[in-house]
Amino acid sequence: MSIVYFEDVEEGDELPGLDFFLSKDQVRQYARTAGMYVPRFTDDEGARAEGLPGMIAPGVMSMGLLARMISDWNAAAQIKRIGTTFRSPVLPDRDIHLRGAVTQKDETDHTAECDIWIENDDGERWVIGTATLALPSKA
Amino acid sequence: MALEFDRSIIGQIFDETAFPPVTKEEILAFTTALGEKNPLYTDEAAAAKGPYGGLVAPPTFVTKLRAQKFTPEHLPKFGKMGFDGGRDLEIHAPVRPGDALKMASTIHDIYEKTGRTGSMYFIVIRNEITNQKGEKVAVIDHRIMQR
Repeated sequence: MSIVYFEDVEEGDELPGLDFFLSKDQVRQYARTAGMYVPRFTDDEGARAEGLPGMIAPGVMSMGLLARMISDWNAAAQIKRIGTTFRSPVLPDRDIHLRGAVTQKDETDHTAECDIWIENDDGERWVIGTATLALPSKA
Repeated sequence: MALEFDRSIIGQIFDETAFPPVTKEEILAFTTALGEKNPLYTDEAAAAKGPYGGLVAPPTFVTKLRAQKFTPEHLPKFGKMGFDGGRDLEIHAPVRPGDALKMASTIHDIYEKTGRTGSMYFIVIRNEITNQKGEKVAVIDHRIMQR
């Protein structure tokens, strides 16, 4: 677990990001624990019947994964606000790439604004968002 | 289409839902599904020595709470199709095992945006979550997009 201090973060810094294979089983596991066990999040056939290309990950799961990316980078970062826009469905059974960058620092309350997003192998941003993080300070 | 509707619906509470106490198992299952490794959310002993003095839920845990009624009965309809436009989450206090959470829902805003492909209408449903001590825990805004 790493801890990153406010003083060590610069505007423009990219977060380390998180790359992994999002399996259908992980999406089902999330859907089960989040009380969202419905066809669009659990099976391809059921999702296709709803006009989707196949089973998709719940939007709030994307938000949760982006929060995890922040937590993996900095175990002491406290998320004050996180907002996500679902531009296109996140399809499991493939690699996804979670990214973030610091856009603004506020010295008065030791917070950092970040852009956060999830993209596919082709660099298409399926989910975009922003987060406000309170960071520990050396002061 | 002009954006015409009864503005008195904005800000009125249309649902209040009380949830059974949060369990440690529920927190850990949620944490595992996301692959969270932060000891604050995964390790009781380590979390006890941390800033919260005990295990807490990951920040997006509250997004799993479901209101009995997600929208009011007479939600205005501005388009044929509805989409999940996104979610904004503001966090005020951590969720701990044993917390009895309550959620009050309102229509927070309705607005129109004009883009390249025409007009889109956004309905913002706001969920305010409080705990048994009356503390504000989180505010979630759902943006439902209609076109």
